[in-house]
Amino acid sequence: MMKRCVWVVLAAILLATPAWARTLVVAQDATWPPMEFMNEQKEIIGFDTDYVRAVAKEAGFDVVFKNVAWDGIFAGLDAGQYDAVCSSVTITDERKKAMDFGIPYFKVRQALVVSKDSTVKTLEELKGKTVGGQIGTTGYFAIKKTEGITAKSYDEIGLAMEDLFSGRIDGVVCDDPTAAQYALQKADYAARLKIAAVLDTGDEYYGIAVKKGNKEVLDLINKGIEAVQAKGIDKELRAKWIGQ
Amino acid sequence: MTSPEPIITIENVNKYFGQLKALSEVSLQVRPGEKVVIIGPSGSGKSTLLRTINRLEEIDSGRIIVDGLDVMDDKNDINRIRMEVGMVFQRFNLFPHKTVLGNLTLAPMKLRKIERAAAEANGRRLLQKVGIEEKAAVYPARLSGGQQQRVAIARALAMNPKIMLFDEPTSALDPEMIGEVLDVMVNLAREGMTMVVVTHEMGFAREVADMVVFMDQGQILETGPPEHFFQDCRHPRARKFLSQIL
Amino acid sequence: MEKKTIDVSDGAAIPRKKDAGLFSAWRISFAGALIILLCLVVFEPDPYLKILKFLPDGILITFEVTIFAIIFAVLLGLLTGLGRISKNPFINAVASTYVEVVRGIPLLVQLFYIYYALGRFVRLPDMVAAIIAMSLCYGAYMGEVFRAGIESIDKGQMEAARSLGFNRTQTMFYVILPQAWRTILPPVGNEFIALLKDTSLVSILAVADMLRRGREFASETFTYFETYTVIALVYLLITLLLSKMVSILEEKLNYYDQS
Repeated sequence: MMKRCVWVVLAAILLATPAWARTLVVAQDATWPPMEFMNEQKEIIGFDTDYVRAVAKEAGFDVVFKNVAWDGIFAGLDAGQYDAVCSSVTITDERKKAMDFGIPYFKVRQALVVSKDSTVKTLEELKGKTVGGQIGTTGYFAIKKTEGITAKSYDEIGLAMEDLFSGRIDGVVCDDPTAAQYALQKADYAARLKIAAVLDTGDEYYGIAVKKGNKEVLDLINKGIEAVQAKGIDKELRAKWIGQ
Repeated sequence: MTSPEPIITIENVNKYFGQLKALSEVSLQVRPGEKVVIIGPSGSGKSTLLRTINRLEEIDSGRIIVDGLDVMDDKNDINRIRMEVGMVFQRFNLFPHKTVLGNLTLAPMKLRKIERAAAEANGRRLLQKVGIEEKAAVYPARLSGGQQQRVAIARALAMNPKIMLFDEPTSALDPEMIGEVLDVMVNLAREGMTMVVVTHEMGFAREVADMVVFMDQGQILETGPPEHFFQDCRHPRARKFLSQIL
Repeated sequence: MEKKTIDVSDGAAIPRKKDAGLFSAWRISFAGALIILLCLVVFEPDPYLKILKFLPDGILITFEVTIFAIIFAVLLGLLTGLGRISKNPFINAVASTYVEVVRGIPLLVQLFYIYYALGRFVRLPDMVAAIIAMSLCYGAYMGEVFRAGIESIDKGQMEAARSLGFNRTQTMFYVILPQAWRTILPPVGNEFIALLKDTSLVSILAVADMLRRGREFASETFTYFETYTVIALVYLLITLLLSKMVSILEEKLNYYDQS
């Protein structure tokens, strides 16, 4: 009798979980609006989040999001704590050495945000001043490469914006969607900040990163991206989150 | 003996420790040059009485006049009064971070503003007087109890006080060291120092006291010159105490 | 006059002569950390030498924050300790409230608060905010150590000094504090070490201390293991040196001990 009960329960569990639906854990640093950030219900939302969901739907896998600080996000990927990172990750040669990227899915440029009353038009004009960026981002690397500027690295881009807002630093460099979010969308910041320039560091592309050599997950993700792009879902999402 | 004005006047002093009455209507006069020895069983209030003289203990009522100044009156600077009243404690209380000589010169230099050289010369003179000049550069932890207490006496004398208070100065000493401390005290008495001494050393009382005061339960029960006191004191509790101690 | 010690809870163990176990542990840790670091740098200069070369300005910042914070925290601690034993009820209340409030708020929150929250009203430079927050926090901790140290001095010392005619302040400075130092020094030394380690928290104010420098390097080169290994070893070496300095200072303060 007892034995039969156990069998029934086991069978029920097996039937309820479709064996073909693989669940991928995707890490995001939810401090980068509008691409990925926390809403008031403490859910991660944003362009990237919706994008991954669309990819998952097309490729037929389930997805769970994990909020991870940017600073350690690639170390966690390498340590196998999650399957992929989709968090406004710019594809760079350096990064390509350390991890594999899916098909580029979003084009960005680096934008310089300054105070509204500043006349600065390029990053070079801020020589002798302090400019902030998020630690480990292409924006921060761009600041560091510019000679004569004191580069200041923050854990979150919001803290850099806060310091710019209160006048402790003279500029912030970050991806243009995020720059737009702070300098144009958020009322209190927008009143004091503006986008001074889009840096000519060339076009950058976001990619979904997986652990080096993890071909299985990479193929799954690429299959989804192809479908999303073919159906034009990415354009819908861009309209929803970025505007333009 | 002529009777000059008392240098210490204690009038109707009462003191409580919570519910416990530590001093009850205590009155006492000490004239300049006089040696008063206070005896009594432990817990009788004799140390408390001694400590009220330089206001190490507060009192609840009554009056204490030292050298013409009311000790309890906050208009009088208690620190100036204390500079004239040397005190020697049961547990020596030398400053362990200072050498023997440093213990003797600290207060004169800081409070009397005496030059270091003069303070040290005076300190060495006093160390000679108490018989341990060779220990001037040593830290107190290296001295025996008897030596420490002699330094403590010298430290109090270094301020050149008018009065010396002794609070059971030999009670914490090994028996073989009591003599050396009492010798110093006897010499001091011979030089004419005004002394109030709380002690159990009846020999000392007999030898140097001008007046012996017997206290019990916070009261002074008997006062008199030692010959009178030790031979025919009247109060039964004093007699009982003497029979136990002698 | 026997020496009293205060129990300690954090920081690091300070080696003492009589404590042979810790003393040799100190040697093993120090030599070990040094040898490992040297080996890594010599045999594997890429990336270890690169990392080490990247750190010095960060180490300097760490030292700067530590030294200033120690100075101010000791002063603040002394004032607080004296305030806590003060007979003046107002001073006592101020000192006690300060200790309670600061002890109840995590240092990380204090740092965020002084820099970002108050940043809208007072625009403190990052280093200043870091030093203020560290000093305020450790001033409260040290205040408690100072209080305990002062209270550990025999009551007879106060009485002896007062009977000579010293007032309370004079007694404190000529008699009590000179003795309290050596009771206070071991726990204060521990606070120094804890403070040095806690300076790593200031990196969240975007202060470019050693940890932030390391994080910047690691996040650019993905050499997390290598970078944090170097950082851990450098911190270890610095705290071991500091604990050594404290124990030497302690020896010096024991000059008047019997044996």
